[in-house]
Amino acid sequence: MKILKLTLVSMLTISLVSCKKEAKTTDSSKDSLTVKKDSTVIQEMHKEYYGIYMGDFAGKEMITPEIGEEYEGDVYKKISLKINRITKDSVYGQSIVNGNQRPFRGVFNESTKSFILDEPGNDKTDGRFEVTLNNDSLTGKWNAFNKSAVKAPLKTLKLIKKEFVYNPNFMLNEDSDLIDWENPKDFVEKYTDEETGKTETYTASKNRIASDAVFKINASKQKLTEKDLKNLRKLDMEIIKNSVFARHGYAFKKQTYRNFFEQTDWYIPVSNNVDKDLSPMEKDNVALLNRFIKYAEDKYDSFGR
Amino acid sequence: MLSVKKNIPNPLKILLIIGFGYFFWLMLKITFEYIPLKTDVSFLMIKQTEVGQRPEYLYFFYIHVYTSIFVLLSGFLAILRKDFGLKSFHKNAGKIYIFLILFLAAPSGIYMGIFANGGVYSKISFVILGGFWWYSTFKAYQLARHKNFKEHKQWMWRSFALTVSAITLRMWKVIIVYLFHPNPMDVYQIIAWMGWIPNIILIEYLITKKYI
Repeated sequence: MKILKLTLVSMLTISLVSCKKEAKTTDSSKDSLTVKKDSTVIQEMHKEYYGIYMGDFAGKEMITPEIGEEYEGDVYKKISLKINRITKDSVYGQSIVNGNQRPFRGVFNESTKSFILDEPGNDKTDGRFEVTLNNDSLTGKWNAFNKSAVKAPLKTLKLIKKEFVYNPNFMLNEDSDLIDWENPKDFVEKYTDEETGKTETYTASKNRIASDAVFKINASKQKLTEKDLKNLRKLDMEIIKNSVFARHGYAFKKQTYRNFFEQTDWYIPVSNNVDKDLSPMEKDNVALLNRFIKYAEDKYDSFGR
Repeated sequence: MLSVKKNIPNPLKILLIIGFGYFFWLMLKITFEYIPLKTDVSFLMIKQTEVGQRPEYLYFFYIHVYTSIFVLLSGFLAILRKDFGLKSFHKNAGKIYIFLILFLAAPSGIYMGIFANGGVYSKISFVILGGFWWYSTFKAYQLARHKNFKEHKQWMWRSFALTVSAITLRMWKVIIVYLFHPNPMDVYQIIAWMGWIPNIILIEYLITKKYI
């Protein structure tokens, strides 16, 4: 009974305190409103909506398969919208799709909790977002300004609010698809028909596959040595290197790396340049990896060592 | 070479000379990657641990790179056993070959073998290769001094077979990578042995069959 009383009392105090807090905040906002009248400082509002919203960006595109006819299908991309600033008559932020970072500006309708956001319009992939907030989710559509310049002029968005945090422990999941689908290499192969004895040549395309070294070597946590990298293939080293950039929220322009890191739930592209965010150790490791990647590129299959 | 003249038909001989010429050209191009002298170029890109920790490594490495190309050339010219109208051409080419190997190329090769890529298996291979290379060349030199030219020739073929491992090793690498795409150091362990063992087996076979 005593315990119950105690908890009740403590809960009451907590609720009282929190009431006080809320009261205070409304007070301060009133204060600053009056300030605004005097000076020209623009009042920011709804800071709780600031942040990164990430998710699917889907549109219908004509798809040309290797075999068969063209057909219309859904193409999913990852998009992130970053809301940086909301004021009474403007919203500022940026969108990132395919590593292409575009600023946008627009308006926020408080009653419907919806945004209309326009990209600048000087890129052929620019357009207008019309999205609505519902708790942590942001959904809606996007219309290209120039309908003939893009494959899918109308796209839908289903985004969820994400918190970007750098964590050196982030790695690719062990069940990730490790095939690089973007850089197939053609091999000419011979086939001899046993009955006719005729030899035909055909080209087969092969995709690179990373090894499980990408789950073991973390260039954000350990100082890498030449010995660690010597027996790795180029793709492994490229993934190990770009994991560093992915952890810092780099928006990859290359599809290959987006494919790998978008499989994780931690990868949130936030910037086109994260070089200044790298730790000294990460910088050293990236330099070492660059040297080994260059060596693999120049020497792996050539006459030499 | 006398017996080669007898036993190897002319077209094959010409083919071998053209083949050597082609691969010598490739080796020359590799050598030119190291001119001007840099501390982090080509093969040295993945050898910065040794370059940084062992001040002598670069000296041995560049002694090996810059002398070996002349070893290949002088060895090839001497093994043709023709004077091309020049006095003592074979003898002088041979002297250059012997001097470069005994004092420069083989010792530096053995040193580099100790720090070879690919772990203990390739290290063992390269050190043995360097040792045999020095010994076979030294033996051939002694036999020439004692005017035992039959055996001199046999030992020189052994020595040159090991010299040519510079080329065969890189040929095997291209073939193995093309066929199997293994990881780089897995290839290296294989070619460390494949580069010279088949060469020496071939020469021993030719010697026992009295072709040389």
